[in-house]
Amino acid sequence: MKSPVTIWRKQKRDTPILGRKGKIVTWTKIMVAPPKFQAFTPYVVVLVELENKEKVYGQLVDFEEKDIYFNNKVKSVLRRSASVSQNALIEYGVKFKPL
Amino acid sequence: MNAIIGYYSTKFGELWQMSLDDLIDEAVSQVLKKTKLQKEQIDAIFFGNMLGGVVEENLLIAAHIAEKLEVNIPIYPVEAACASGGLAFQMAHEYLKSNSNKTVVVLGAEKMTDVSAENITKALSCAASSEEQAVGLTFPGVYGMIANLYLQKYHYKEEHLAAISVKNHAHGVFNENAHFRKYVTVDDVLESPYVAYPLKVLDSSPISDGAAALVLTNQKSKISNQKSSFILSSEVATDSVSIAKRERLDELKATKIAGEKAFKTANLKRQDIRVMEVHDCFSIAEILALEDLGFWKKGEGGAHAKAMSTASSSGGHLIVNTSGGLKAAGHPVGGTGIKQIGEVHLQLTGQAGDRQVKGAKYGLAHNVGGSGGLTVVSSLGS
Repeated sequence: MKSPVTIWRKQKRDTPILGRKGKIVTWTKIMVAPPKFQAFTPYVVVLVELENKEKVYGQLVDFEEKDIYFNNKVKSVLRRSASVSQNALIEYGVKFKPL
Repeated sequence: MNAIIGYYSTKFGELWQMSLDDLIDEAVSQVLKKTKLQKEQIDAIFFGNMLGGVVEENLLIAAHIAEKLEVNIPIYPVEAACASGGLAFQMAHEYLKSNSNKTVVVLGAEKMTDVSAENITKALSCAASSEEQAVGLTFPGVYGMIANLYLQKYHYKEEHLAAISVKNHAHGVFNENAHFRKYVTVDDVLESPYVAYPLKVLDSSPISDGAAALVLTNQKSKISNQKSSFILSSEVATDSVSIAKRERLDELKATKIAGEKAFKTANLKRQDIRVMEVHDCFSIAEILALEDLGFWKKGEGGAHAKAMSTASSSGGHLIVNTSGGLKAAGHPVGGTGIKQIGEVHLQLTGQAGDRQVKGAKYGLAHNVGGSGGLTVVSSLGS
C-alpha cells in the first residue's frame, strides 16, 4: 500500500499536465500486468508528445479500436489509476482520451 | 593483461529444487573445480544479482555468500537490473587493472520462479521509472512501445521480429544448459499470445533460474595453466531510466556509447568480430543491438533479421547468440551477463562443443539493464 504522502507528491506532478493536448508518439496494449493493474487488462498505454514537446505516458480511455494510431490527437484527463484494497487511498492519475 | 581462465554455468530453467544459495554454491564450487583452484586462492568475488532483495528478501547478500562459501574475502554485490552480471564483470575488470597479482570470481545468479508471473513482473518493473510504473507499463510494455514505433517507422511486420526468436531457438538446441532446447517456427511465434502488443510470448525471453561464474586473473602463472581468453575491453554507459526522456525511441543510446568505447579501447573493427552475444530480452532488442553496435544500418535491421544472416547455419561471418540468447538459453537476470561472456569465452577457446563457430578469434558481449538505462559492452580475444 502506498502512503498517502507519496500519492500527494505524485499529484503535484500530475496537476500541470492535466487538460493538455498532444499526439500519440507510440503505444502498446498490455496483456500481462502487475497485480494492481490486472483488473484492467487488456489496456492500452500511449506515449504522448504534448504541445510543448514534453513526452508523457498514460493509459488510453474512452476510445474505440480505430482511435489507436500514431499521431492521433489526444487530451489528458484525471482518472482512477489502479486497483487498491478496500482500506487504501484510491489513486488517481493522468490518462488520455481521443480528441 | 586480464584473462578469463574458467567458466561454469548451471542449467537455466525452472529449477524448483534449487534456492538462490544453492545456485551460487554450485556455480562457485564448480568453476573452482574446473580451474583447479582452492577458494583460498580467490581474492574477491563480484556478484551480479537483481531480485535477491525483493523476491528472496535477502539483503547484505555478500554476507549470505560468505557464510555459504565459508570465506572472509571482499564480496561486491552489483545491481543493474538485467545488466547486473555485465556490470559485475566490468567492475572486476577495473579491479584487476588497478590491483596486480589478483584472481577473482565473477558470479551472476537469479532465482525467479518461486513467485507468480504477475509478482515477478511487478518486481522487474522496479527497474522502470516511477512514471512508467504508475501507468501500468511493464518491461514488455516499454519494449512493445519501442517495437511498435520501429515497425511503423521502417515499414516492417511482426514476422521480421519473429525471425530473431526462430534463430535463437535453433541455436539453443545445441546448448546443454539452455532453458528451451526446441525449434520454433515463424508461425509458432506469430500464433503465440500477445504479452504487450506487438510483442508475443515467443518474442520474449523467459523467466528462469540460473547462475554462472567466471574466474578472472592477472597472474601469469595461472593464465598459462588454463585455456584462457583475454579481456580487450569492458565499457559501461548509462541513459535516462525512462524512454520518454530520450531523443530517439528507435535506438538505445547507452549501447551506442558503450559499443563505440569498447571497439576503440580494444582497437577492433566490426569485421574482426566473429561471435557475439547480444541482449535479446525481446526480439526487437536484438535488432536494435546490431544496429546500435554498428553492424547494421539504422532501419535495415528488420530485413537482416528476416534473412537470418547471423544464424550459425547461414555460413555468414558474424554469428549472434550461439548460446540461444536470452530467448532460448533463458534469462535469470543477474546471471545473463556472465553467461554471455562465458559463451564468448567458450567459443574463443574452442570449448563450445556442438555449437562451436570455427575460426573465432574475437568476440563481443552486450548486456542491457532495463530498457537501455545502462549497457555494458565487452570484447574478448583468444
